[in-house]
Amino acid sequence: MSIPAASMHSIFNHGTAARFGAYLALWIMLIEFSVTNFAVGLLAAAWATWISVSLLPVSNRQFSPIGLMRFAMRLPWQALVAGADVARRAIDPRMPLQPGLITYATRIESGPGRDAFRALMSLQPGTLPASVGDSDAMLIHCLDTRQPVAAQLAAEEALFAQITGGGRTRSRRDD
Amino acid sequence: MILVDMFTMAAVGAGMFFFLAGTVGLLRFPDTLSRLHALTKADNLGFGFIVLGLLPQSPDVLSGLKLVVVWLLVQLAAATAGQLIAQFVGLERRRDPAA
Repeated sequence: MSIPAASMHSIFNHGTAARFGAYLALWIMLIEFSVTNFAVGLLAAAWATWISVSLLPVSNRQFSPIGLMRFAMRLPWQALVAGADVARRAIDPRMPLQPGLITYATRIESGPGRDAFRALMSLQPGTLPASVGDSDAMLIHCLDTRQPVAAQLAAEEALFAQITGGGRTRSRRDD
Repeated sequence: MILVDMFTMAAVGAGMFFFLAGTVGLLRFPDTLSRLHALTKADNLGFGFIVLGLLPQSPDVLSGLKLVVVWLLVQLAAATAGQLIAQFVGLERRRDPAA
């Protein structure tokens, strides 16, 4: 992927350095520390940073740490609810399922934010995004369509929007 | 020490239960997308319990962090791969609603 000349000079900035630092820290956590490993880690982190900047350019979007914390704190509990729900349905001899696809009109902009939201939705109890393309109408597979899935998704979406201070959602657009 | 070991056994035992439940779901659930639920949710929770149980047994902080990072990476990989498969099934169904 080629990088536009205009953004060339902005590649070496704070955001890029922070990403490089994060990848290097990840490397050190995963691979035992030694001088040789560290040298390879520097190369790997530089490569990862280059890929990451080409896929998702550094921007000065404001993140809300409190919103992120609030969201992250709920993840373990939701993992428990989601896993227990699937386990119960799998083991129950009657296997209470009513699988089906529903559409959900999301207000999160198409792009990395929506991708992250979809990934998080796939960890939620009973829902699995199965969208095709960039349409605002997300296709969601539900294990039990009798559950109030749309309300659950709307609540999650509102919480997710708080991470970016609500700035990344938008009202309906006619296009 | 015995308390720590009991915690490890309980958590790893819970992890094994959810792995088993996920596999039962994989075998019993009626279609591809429902089976994906079993794999992305029950197995991830099982893995989470196993990591949780092993944490107090890790010899130093770095090993503990490594376990947590591996768990996060697996979560990310499962969420991504699950969606790719789901998208593919979505495409198939659009072509042939009976699939």
